[in-house]
Amino acid sequence: MIRTALAMSGLGGLVVAFFAVLGGMALITGSGVIVESGLRSSLEGSRLAAADVLVSAPQSVRGGEGGLPVGLPERAVVPASLIAELSQVAGVASAAGDVTFPAALVGAEAAATGDGHGWASAVLAGGAVLDGRAPRAAEEIVVSKTHAVRPGADVEVIAAGKRGTYRVTGVVDAPGLYFADRVALDLADRTAGQRAGTVDIVALRAAPGTDAGALAQAVRKRIGDGYEISTGSAKGDAESPGTAAARTLLIALPSSVGGLSLLIVGFVVGGGISLSITRQRRDLALLRAAGATPRQVRKLVAAQGMAAALAALIPGAAAGYLMAAHFGDLLVHVGMLPANMPLTYSPIPAVAAAPLLLGVVRVSAFATSISASRMPAVAAVRDSAGEPRTPSAVRYKSGLLIILASLLISSLPLFIRGEIAAVGPGVAALLSVIGLALAGPRLVQSATGLLARHLPARVPASVWLAVANTRGYALRTAGAVAALGMVVTLATSVALTHFTILQATADETAETLKADAAVTAPAYGGIPHGLLDDVRRTPGVTAAVATSTTVVASRSLAVGDDGDNLVSRTAMVLGPDAGELVDLGVGAGSLADLKGATIALDERAGEVGERYDLVLGDGAAVKARVVATYSRALGLGPVVLSRDLVAGHTTTGLDSTILVRTDGDRSGLERLTARWPGVDVAAGSPSPQAGETSAQLWINIAVLAVLLGYVLVSVANRLVATIASRGAELTAVKRLGSTPRQLTAMIRWEALIIALTASLAGLAMSVVPLLLLSVGFLGRPWPAGPLWVAPAAMATVCAVVWLAYELTARRLIRHA
Amino acid sequence: MNHVVTLTGVTKKYGELTALDDVSLGFPRGRFTAVMGPSGSGKSTLIQCAAALDTPTSGSVAIGGVDVGTLNETKRTELRRAHIGFVFQSYNLLPAITVEENLTLTLRLAGRKPDLAWIRMLVERVGLHDRLRHRPGELSGGQQQRAAIVRALAGRPDVLFADEPTGALDLRSASQVLDLLRSMVDDLGQTVVMVTHDPAAAARAHDALIMADGRLVDVLPAPSAEDLAARLTRLAGRPVAAAGGAL
Ligand SMILES: Nc1ncnc2c1ncn2[C@@H]1O[C@H](COP(=O)(O)OP(=O)(O)OP(=O)(O)O)[C@@H](O)[C@H]1O
Ligand SMILES: [Mg+2]
Repeated sequence: MIRTALAMSGLGGLVVAFFAVLGGMALITGSGVIVESGLRSSLEGSRLAAADVLVSAPQSVRGGEGGLPVGLPERAVVPASLIAELSQVAGVASAAGDVTFPAALVGAEAAATGDGHGWASAVLAGGAVLDGRAPRAAEEIVVSKTHAVRPGADVEVIAAGKRGTYRVTGVVDAPGLYFADRVALDLADRTAGQRAGTVDIVALRAAPGTDAGALAQAVRKRIGDGYEISTGSAKGDAESPGTAAARTLLIALPSSVGGLSLLIVGFVVGGGISLSITRQRRDLALLRAAGATPRQVRKLVAAQGMAAALAALIPGAAAGYLMAAHFGDLLVHVGMLPANMPLTYSPIPAVAAAPLLLGVVRVSAFATSISASRMPAVAAVRDSAGEPRTPSAVRYKSGLLIILASLLISSLPLFIRGEIAAVGPGVAALLSVIGLALAGPRLVQSATGLLARHLPARVPASVWLAVANTRGYALRTAGAVAALGMVVTLATSVALTHFTILQATADETAETLKADAAVTAPAYGGIPHGLLDDVRRTPGVTAAVATSTTVVASRSLAVGDDGDNLVSRTAMVLGPDAGELVDLGVGAGSLADLKGATIALDERAGEVGERYDLVLGDGAAVKARVVATYSRALGLGPVVLSRDLVAGHTTTGLDSTILVRTDGDRSGLERLTARWPGVDVAAGSPSPQAGETSAQLWINIAVLAVLLGYVLVSVANRLVATIASRGAELTAVKRLGSTPRQLTAMIRWEALIIALTASLAGLAMSVVPLLLLSVGFLGRPWPAGPLWVAPAAMATVCAVVWLAYELTARRLIRHA
Repeated sequence: MNHVVTLTGVTKKYGELTALDDVSLGFPRGRFTAVMGPSGSGKSTLIQCAAALDTPTSGSVAIGGVDVGTLNETKRTELRRAHIGFVFQSYNLLPAITVEENLTLTLRLAGRKPDLAWIRMLVERVGLHDRLRHRPGELSGGQQQRAAIVRALAGRPDVLFADEPTGALDLRSASQVLDLLRSMVDDLGQTVVMVTHDPAAAARAHDALIMADGRLVDVLPAPSAEDLAARLTRLAGRPVAAAGGAL
């Protein structure tokens, strides 16, 4: 009985808790779906549909002691000798090697990269010869029916960068270009050099009556755990080497935004629960007076919070799955997730998120009710009329400590100029808001006390009352100020941090790359052989350098890398000629020495002559000698690899971009497309990490928008609940002789004080981290990017406060 | 007679329940009136209607000759601030501000300059001078009661309504408060209307009104404590069904 009655009276507050938990559940479940998809989703469709079992090399390496596996995107190969070995396994009807290399008809409309394979793969792909016959000689080729070429025609093809003329011998019902098996191995560089005697995949077909799963077992028994053996829907992973890297990204993504989200969920849920309890202080106190033990009161409070939280779990989880779906679309859109890799939806994320949230609820309910439940019953009743006059000193001091700590974190960018510094300002600002929430009541008391003392004597009663209220109900005021301040902080510091780092990266890239044009050939999977020479011979071109990017994993290269674990990052690949167009600010050594197994390093990461252990993009562990160290690490990253080092360790074996400097006349370059149709010439010099950074930016903006929405809704809820509980207080003021107009004015003044304080506090909490970041990254005290987000966030805060007060208070005043 | 507040045929209903049933009376200027009656008889409702804190369901209330029913909420509030002081049964001190700030709050709301000498005199007479900087929550019930009386008198109202002002007080404090009220009436011609359950307190008044079941059942001029006690005992012992017949 008492329970239900109390629960009803606290309903307004519990609604706040309900929505806080709902949003938190959605956020965490959503992140969980992303992580789970990284672990378990499978690619849709399989190229080698007719194969039953695929054997390939692992596309990831162990990240180190307890670390997550690091996905690597460059094709790791298997020895061709496996083909013969596996055909011995009982139940194998046939075994064939598959290789993939970029291949496209010159000048074909097809904008996207086409792939070339050996003829054996066409059969495995289930391709039926529609017309003609298989390729046998070196200059023969079979095309897909989508190419619209007839047998007997001669076509010009760029395959793995090599340009040649082929005679079409047949048309097949499978995508891609098919060469005689030997030719394909030759083109894919499997007959000599680093990758001699290897294939990408060994594809097995099971003998009639043999189950694919059983066959996979038999194969594993034969060759051990060193290979990936995939069947069914898992075959897609083996066919696309980039998938493992995409998975790693999916797993890593939520953890990079996770810190921020968890802080916010904790803050909002904790705030909601504590508000709902504070609203019931009087009831709880009377309950104490009526004989309830502190424990009974705490249990009651916890039970209520739990009830609200439990009710929110299911709708929250539903919202989370929905959100993950949209987030997945975004990831595909920005190119961070293969389009044919659907997210996996299982109950696991929700089941994992639920106890986490219930735990937060439990802890905050306990923390809030402990003081009310511990004091003597009489004191509780006396206290419950207003608020305790002196907010807890422990709370105040821990709040100040947190603010201090956040200042320390925000000074990070002054010392570290790297990706890790990006995390600092956002987290620092949020931490300081949480500190503010703790230290707030006392700060509010002193600030409004000061204000009260300096108010002119003849100030209208409504203003005086508004100030007196914000001061007298310092806890209530500080709660609202901190929650609203978080909106400003989140919008301002997190957004501007990203833009500032983006700007700094772009600036430094511009300083580093002295090119004014870039030539790419996405249609051919990379720069074809001969193009670089043609570019260099083009009139108007004064220098040209071929570059590519790959992924390299290493232990601790930059501050913030997890000491013992492997961290993978995109790195630029340069040759000894790079110095012409790439000015990394080399301090020691020279880029001209980028020959053989060598690298250049950020000067803070190592010294010339040192040897470094690296894992290349295909998982090969190599030792590389440092031949140069440089200062501009923000643009190209902390490590640059020599072309010789990565040769034979990339999927295509091709450069991706030719950086060009001209004498100002690019018309010669533009004419290149006559000889090289499908080649792109762009002005400016693209940062090798530009794509990645802008994708990251979009993701961050999306996450930020969701978090902002969550905080805004919960803040609005909180304000409404707080105001709605002030009926008795307003009635009292009215009885003492306040006209409705004065009451309205008082409420408006309070709203104004709170909105302004929150805006300024939120801004103040963002300013220091942003200032330090800007000094560290841009060498000037203000950040880059849309500075209007600060006034916009403040305006939003004012609008929310105004709406909440107008809508709720008007009704209350009418009924006071 | 010169009445500060006049009620004519005032009825107040709360849904089915009739808290005040067709009451007509006037509070004469300069007199000390006590209102007595069993719990739930409508005493608080009566003085709240008379003080324009509440609006009657029917009938009219005039304060200083102005019909309250014709005024809107703002005008009513202004009239109340100008003429009436009210001591609430539940004190009604604002918990968020100090006692001192509570005392001048109504004046502040009215935009009037508080007469500090007057208020200091009141504070000293009720013995609150050392509690002014505290919050109401830090005062005893009796102290809060006295603060509420000082606040009601701070603006020198034409009439002071007090709802059980001695209810929470010990004998000494109660007699202090009653002395204060009586001297206000005697020395300054203050009009006071006091609800009380204590016949001894009511005996300090000029007249005593007796309420029962929302009706005014008796007016006793210059009552003695014994008369009042006897009268109330009879009311309490009276069978409820016979109430109508008794009038
Ligand atoms: N706001 C209200 N809503 C409904 N009924 C009410 C309300 N206020 C008072 N009443 C009822 O009106 C009647 C008169 O109440 P009132 O407070 O005037 O009594 P009282 O004589 O002051 O009693 P007491 O001596 O106990 O203070 C009571 O029956 C009471 O229950
Ligand atoms: Mg009463």
